[in-house]
Parts: sequence; structure tokens; C-alpha cells
Amino acid sequence: MALIELQDVSKLYGFGDATTLALDEVTLTIEKGEFIAVMGPSGSGKSTLLNMIGLLDRPSHGQYHLEGKPVARLKPNVAAKIRRDKIGFIFQSYNLLPRLTALENVALPLGYKGVSLTKRLKMASQMLDRVGVQNREYYLPSQLSGGQAQCVTIARALVNNPRLIIADEPTGNLDSNSSRLVMELLSDIHKMGNTIIFVTHNPELTRFATRVIYMHDGSIIHDEKTAVGRVASTARKVLYTVPATSEEDDLAGVSVLMKALPDKPSAPPDTAAKPKTRRGRTARRKRGGKS
Amino acid sequence: MIFSRGHLKAGFDSVRNAKLRSFWTMLGIIIGVAAVITVIGIGDGVKQQVAGQIHHLGNNFITIRPESLQTGSNVGNQAGLFSGLSVSGPMTVNDIATVATTHGVSQSAPLTLTPGTVRGPDGVYTHGSVIGTTPDLPSLINQSLANGNFFSSQNYGDNVAVLGQNTAQKLFKNTLPLGHSFTFHGQTFIVVGIFNQFTTTPLSGQVDFNNAIFIPNSVAENLTHNTAPTYEMFVRTALPSQTAAVSSQIRQRLNAEHGGQSGIAVLVGNQNIVANDNILSLLTTLVAGVAAISLLVGGIGIMNVMMVSVAERTHEIGIRKAVGATEMQILGQFMLEATMLSLSGGVLGIILAYIIDGVLHVTTNLQPVISWKVVVGVALVTFLIGLIFGTIPALKAARRNPIDALRTE
Repeated sequence: MALIELQDVSKLYGFGDATTLALDEVTLTIEKGEFIAVMGPSGSGKSTLLNMIGLLDRPSHGQYHLEGKPVARLKPNVAAKIRRDKIGFIFQSYNLLPRLTALENVALPLGYKGVSLTKRLKMASQMLDRVGVQNREYYLPSQLSGGQAQCVTIARALVNNPRLIIADEPTGNLDSNSSRLVMELLSDIHKMGNTIIFVTHNPELTRFATRVIYMHDGSIIHDEKTAVGRVASTARKVLYTVPATSEEDDLAGVSVLMKALPDKPSAPPDTAAKPKTRRGRTARRKRGGKS
Repeated sequence: MIFSRGHLKAGFDSVRNAKLRSFWTMLGIIIGVAAVITVIGIGDGVKQQVAGQIHHLGNNFITIRPESLQTGSNVGNQAGLFSGLSVSGPMTVNDIATVATTHGVSQSAPLTLTPGTVRGPDGVYTHGSVIGTTPDLPSLINQSLANGNFFSSQNYGDNVAVLGQNTAQKLFKNTLPLGHSFTFHGQTFIVVGIFNQFTTTPLSGQVDFNNAIFIPNSVAENLTHNTAPTYEMFVRTALPSQTAAVSSQIRQRLNAEHGGQSGIAVLVGNQNIVANDNILSLLTTLVAGVAAISLLVGGIGIMNVMMVSVAERTHEIGIRKAVGATEMQILGQFMLEATMLSLSGGVLGIILAYIIDGVLHVTTNLQPVISWKVVVGVALVTFLIGLIFGTIPALKAARRNPIDALRTE
């Protein structure tokens, strides 16, 4: 039994002429223990997909089974309890409560579960120790560095021992050192058997993943298994390509990834067909855009 | 579990973190609570003073007064025109004699309003009334004299007068009026005594004894040809155990004299309080009701601030929901916060009421009494106000969609 089964899941926002299709009949199966990176340009539906999987949002159409149980049409309170017991969230902007200390923030989900105050503070302390920021227990979020804050968020996500961890650009606000720290932490958690889904714009981070999903305009356009430690092949094309976007592309919001995709129908054929790389193999080719 | 210790802390934090705003919000509640407690306290204080006075007078004390009495200037005219006919007019000379001669009565003093103009050395005295009474009055109401003596049985028929404190000052300015004279109905009256200040005069009706001039009742009746209205009569029995018997005796004799319906009330001890109590309770309830409206307004203020708080903390609500807070838990958090706001206001209001109480004790002769029942009741009401007015904002918070809430910053 797969952990997550999405079947023709769509999500529409707005109504009438202003309707936006955020997810377009996405079908996706995620097995227990997978470490999935979701990539794609802004507005491609990555966050909507994660919110849907995390039961923060309901699909407009389609079926969603979590551990074999249908969860697409749950009442808000039932969804809240599943979020509390089975899903841990890590956000790009940490989303820690500013007036609570690191320890209290981590203890928050336990409080909603009804764990006694002393017990939950003890559990939170252990969790902070596990993510390596125990010496920051009594700091307020504003007194923590980005990396530390994200570690606290991870501790909060883990404190209820969830089956599934959902991370929406966990390294988006972090420098490369902190990013590596956070990803290594997630990797450790993955090794312990947790299922992790994370969104990233950094192809380098696909090294940590076992599977990479590429999204565009609300659809999954590419889905590949990858070995841990290797940058996913599609992402590699982006990574080892000198920035290939032109000024016009920037203005239009076209991302490098879109251009790099091999079977991307809407990408201009010249840039997609002739990606420039730093390697000699392609360096010999005539350069198309700016260098 | 709606209220957990986590909620409690969150509520405290939130109130503490917006101290100034919380204070302004609570102000309505503070004023309302202080007003309600003070008003009820003053009412209770007056009641206790009256009760104390009655107790002071003893339980062998009887008050006799017409059941309904027309007051003002036409009292005298009415008495003159319908003397003996009017059912509920003032008591007549005969009534006074009847009461005084009833078996078991040891002391009696009528209070007879004597119309007429008082001329002192500095002109006409207009501040108080002239009251005809008997030598028994000071001992009946346990009132001592500051100077001189009250008229006794020896000089009862003479033109003598005893003044209240204020009268002495106003009629004779700076001189001590003992032995001085004033003119009343063309006759000269010699001042023989001055009363000490009457602290409370619960039995004196509309007449302020401090502004009154007391003359012998026989003189008063002579001057007015028995038309001066007696609006009240104090009686003391020889033994406390006789009080009930004597009072019914007086009632019967008065009724017999008036052909069955005397229209005169004979009141024993705390019956006096009951009469006073009804009016006082009504008044207290009325003013406390007005003060309670300010509590209501305070509650609405709390609702508004909670609305703003919910709007400001939408993101926080989103985070809490994302990590698994149910609607009931969010509801509980905000309800608790509103309740804490109003309850804090209530506590501050109670403190303020005690301060006002202290100030009133020192600066006025009011003696407000704050009973713990009122304090607990008001605290309970503020708690309920928080609960009731916190519901709408809390529901609004609880029903936020987590995704939308997370998106707001």
C-alpha cells in the first residue's frame, strides 16, 4: 500500500473568468520511505501540491488516499488531527510563533495533542538536541540565525513522530552552509524511515533525493528516480548550464529549468536543443545567448 | 479540553504584550465595575447606618406617623380646614394626647411643624422649620446638647427654644445664642440650649434637625390654635417586652378615636428600616443599572479589540492550525484571552472601587459598605462578559482556513 495516492487531483482557485487552474489532474503515488524533490518554476503548482498532500488544502476534484484512507473530503477538524499526528511541516519562512521560545514552539504540536506541559517540554528539548540546537532552547525566534530557526522548525515537524514530512523550500532563505546542514538533517531523518517531500529551486539539492518530480503549469511533466548522492539527470542539465535565460526571459519569468527540459514543448527550440555547459563537450558549440 | 495551560500562557502573553491597548480596552470594564460596586456599597452603607440608628434607639422604640402626609406649605391649611375629618391628615392634638396616655408609654415626643416667620437679630431665618415637641425628645433619640439644657417640665409652657447646630450659627452668626432671643408669631423666645450635630436623622423625615428650632409643643399649639400639623411622634415603652403590646394598644385607641380608620401608622423598630429600604433599594438598583450599562459597553469594547487581535494574528492562527490545532482549540485560546481581558478589568475595577470607598470614608460622611457577595458577583459578571463578547471574534479565528491564514503576513 502506497503512503500517498493522488488520482486526477485538480485544484481551481477563483471563479468565472478569473479561475486559475493550480493543479491539473495530477496523478501521483508516493511509497513509504521516499525522499522526493519537487522542482518547477514559480506558479507551477508545487506549493499547491504540497498543501494538498499535507491536508492544508482540499482538492477541487479527484481522489487522495493517505495510507489507504480517502482524505480528499475531510472535515477541517479531522484534517487538523491528521496533520497533528501524521504530518510535519517545514516552511521556507520557518513560521515559528515569534512570542514563544524555541522550546515552546517545538512543544506546540504536542500541546494540541494533549501531552502534559512538563512531558512535552522534555520531549521538545530532546528533539532540539537531536537537531543540534539544544543550546538555543530559550531563545526567541528573532534571536536565532536562519539555519538555527529552520532546525527548530524541523524539530517541531518531527516532535510528533510523523510518517510524512513536507518541506516547502526549506533552504530558500538560507546560505549554502546552512542549506547543507538542513539538508543533511533531512537526510538523516529520511534514513530513519520517514517519507519526505520537499520543494527546491536548487538542482544541487536533488543529490539528497531518491526521486525528483518536475512540475509546470499544474502538471507533473517529468518524474525520475535518482540515486542518492547524484544530481538528478534533468536537474544536472540546469546545474551545469551557464545561465541561459535572456533578458526577455527574465522579464517574462521564464526559468532556466523550463528551458532545460528535454521534452518541454513551449521552450524555444534553440536554447533547449543547445544547452551551453561549462564542459568541453558543449563549449565547442557556438554560443547562443549571453555568456 | 478547551482550556489548557498552554492556552493560559498564550492568553497572558498576548494581554501582556499589548499592555497599553489592553488597558484602554479594560477601561470600560474597570469604570463599570467600580461604579456598580461603589453605588451598591453606598446604598448598603446607608442601610447599615439606618439599621445602626434603629439599633441605637433600642427595641422599645415606636414611631407613629400618618400613612400619607401632604408636605409643604399647604399642610397647615389642610390641617386647619379638615381637622378631624381628613383620614390621612396629620395627627391632631387629641391623637398626641391619646398616644401619650396609653398604658405602657414611658416617654413620648411629637414633632409638630409650626408655620410662622422667625426673626432673629440679623433678619428672617429661612433655612429650617420650627418644631413643637416635648421635653422627652433628647432622651428619646439619644441626642446630647452642646450648650445649655433642653426645656424641661418646669419651663415647658414658657417661650423657650432649643436650636440645631446650623440654626445656631445662621441665626446668631458668631455669638453663642444662649440667653439670646428671636421673635416668632410676635412673641419673644429665649434660647436655652443648642443641640450637638445630628449625625444621621433617619427618623426625622424631610426635616433636618440640624437646621430646626425646637419649641415646647404646648406653646406651638397655642400659637397656631391647635392647627399645627404633627407629622411624626416618637414613643418609648417602659419595657422592651411590652413594645408589641403597647404599639397595638396605641393603634387600637387611635382607630377607635377616628371611627375605625385612623390612617396613622404605628411602626416598631425595624419596620422603619423596611420603609426606608424599599426606596433606597429602588434607587440603588436604578443607579447600579445605569452603571451596568457601562459594563456592557466595556464588553463591546473587548469584542472590538479581539476582532482586531484576530485579524492581526491571522498568520499565527495559520501556523497553529498547520501544526494540528483544531477549531475548538483555537476557539478556546481566543475565548480565554477575551475572558482574561475582561476579568483583569474586573479585578482592577474592584481595586478602584476599594480606593473610591476609602476616599468616600475620609472625605464625606457616607460610609459605603462593600460586601464580598457584590465583589464576587461582579467578578462573575465580568467573566461572563468576556465569555459572551469573546465568542464572536474567537469563532472568526477558529474558522480561518489554514492556507489563507498562512499566506497572510
